Amino acid sequence: MTLLALKNVTKTFRVNQREVHAVRDVSFDVREGECLAIVGESGSGKTTLANMILGLFGATSGEIHFRDSALPARRPTELRRQIQFVQQNPLSALNAKRSVGASVRLGLETYRIGERAARKAAVEAALEAVGLEPELARRPPGALSGGQRQRVGIARALAVEPSLVVLDEPTSALDVLVQARVLRLLNELRAAKKLTYVFITHDLAVVRNIADRCVVLKEGQIVEMGETTAIFDDPQHDYTRNLIRAVPVVDQTEVQLRDKLGRAND
Amino acid sequence: MSLLSIRDLSLSFRGIHGVTEVLHGIALDIAPGEKVALVGESGSGKSVTARIVLGLLQELAAARIDGEVRFGGEDMRGFSRQQFAANRGTEISMIFQDPTSSLNPTFIIERQFAEVIRRRNPGASREDCLRIAGEALAETAIPDVERVLASYPFQLSGGMNQRVMIAMALVNKPKLLIADEPGTALDVTVQAQTLQLMRQLTDEHQAAVFFISHNLGVVREFADRVYVIYRGRIVEDGPTEAIFADPRHAYTRALMAAVPRITGMGLPDIPERSDSFDAPQISHEGGS
Repeated sequence: MTLLALKNVTKTFRVNQREVHAVRDVSFDVREGECLAIVGESGSGKTTLANMILGLFGATSGEIHFRDSALPARRPTELRRQIQFVQQNPLSALNAKRSVGASVRLGLETYRIGERAARKAAVEAALEAVGLEPELARRPPGALSGGQRQRVGIARALAVEPSLVVLDEPTSALDVLVQARVLRLLNELRAAKKLTYVFITHDLAVVRNIADRCVVLKEGQIVEMGETTAIFDDPQHDYTRNLIRAVPVVDQTEVQLRDKLGRAND
Repeated sequence: MSLLSIRDLSLSFRGIHGVTEVLHGIALDIAPGEKVALVGESGSGKSVTARIVLGLLQELAAARIDGEVRFGGEDMRGFSRQQFAANRGTEISMIFQDPTSSLNPTFIIERQFAEVIRRRNPGASREDCLRIAGEALAETAIPDVERVLASYPFQLSGGMNQRVMIAMALVNKPKLLIADEPGTALDVTVQAQTLQLMRQLTDEHQAAVFFISHNLGVVREFADRVYVIYRGRIVEDGPTEAIFADPRHAYTRALMAAVPRITGMGLPDIPERSDSFDAPQISHEGGS
């Protein structure tokens, strides 16, 4: 079933009297329970799309449908709760002056979920779900490691029990070992909590291992879209091929795949 | 002979909670013109090692540094603050992770270039600086050199700033370039271009590179030789090919498994800690 549908979405910004077409006539569906990746270089319109899905600003034209009805420009609280966000840099996303427990609790307070006492337990449960000790709730984000902070970012998004989570480069600020653990955690949580992900990244190797389907964006337009395995087996567009080939590889089998794509490009 | 030779280097910080040991006696060599990578996770001691070579940590009262660091045969232990300062940007230069935030946002590129050029050549006139900077930028295949020189860093893209950083780092013909996770703040295509450009230019300038990274995939593309560091100890070292063909230390294997594969091998389950990660150092043949 389709959870989220973008229909001919366009976003134009005015910069110095000039029109910048950040997103041009983009349409795709996100199915319930899937992980859909949006990939492309910097400036391809990935984050603009995310911001529109989150309702941070509206589309210039086109519609975004959530559970069969168009999302209004001013979203009611309940709709905002349903669509949550995990950012790239957890240190700048978390308030340095608040304890991580308070940051996670803020969502519960905003959406009026539970009574005061129940919220404390809910915060502990949310932290535990992402593999953090409940004692960490009293600490400021600055006292945590990068991986722990990103887990807090995930706990905060999931504490309010959303159905759709938009993840904007959630692991690109982390080192590879921490990235591997956070990606695994995201995968487990998606299955356990029946979540749907829109996963934004420029890293095709991450996409290959976490996304069911992907949308490839270039200069605000979709150049390719489909099952992840199909796109990697036989990319149709040079832009996609170059994105895959740019990934640093460690295995001989990867080198072979990259060489194959390289030949197709020449 | 080694250009950079580190022997039994240890580092600890004195803080309010007592002493934190960061490096436990590491040894490392870089030959002239050689590209050597130091790979490990956050907090393993990679960046502090680079900072010691630059003489930046020596200024910190809380840091206790032991062991030998030799650059071009000279023992750096006897260096004064002024000697270290004179070395930076001339003999040894550095490229950082995020090019846009490591350039000064309040000055145009031309002025920042002039500052770097005058470290080597204090009497250089504005015309000299413009000419030298223009040549250095042209080497990085920047199409519109005049526009870049007249721009502020925030007016340029991340990839363009990265090229500016590389050109600036090499303009004084340093013997050693320290690159701390270059391009990881940028997207994969720009990162790939950055690595290619760095390789080409350091070859042309015959500069050695001390390359710091957490990603073995990136290292494989770039380095001649690799040191793997875990919690302040070198656990494995050798020529890049040997390490990738036959990673022997448990920690190196874990680091390798963590790199997501474009062939789709799934997401590995890697333990936070393991006794096997603390096993003694393994050295492959063919190192320097």
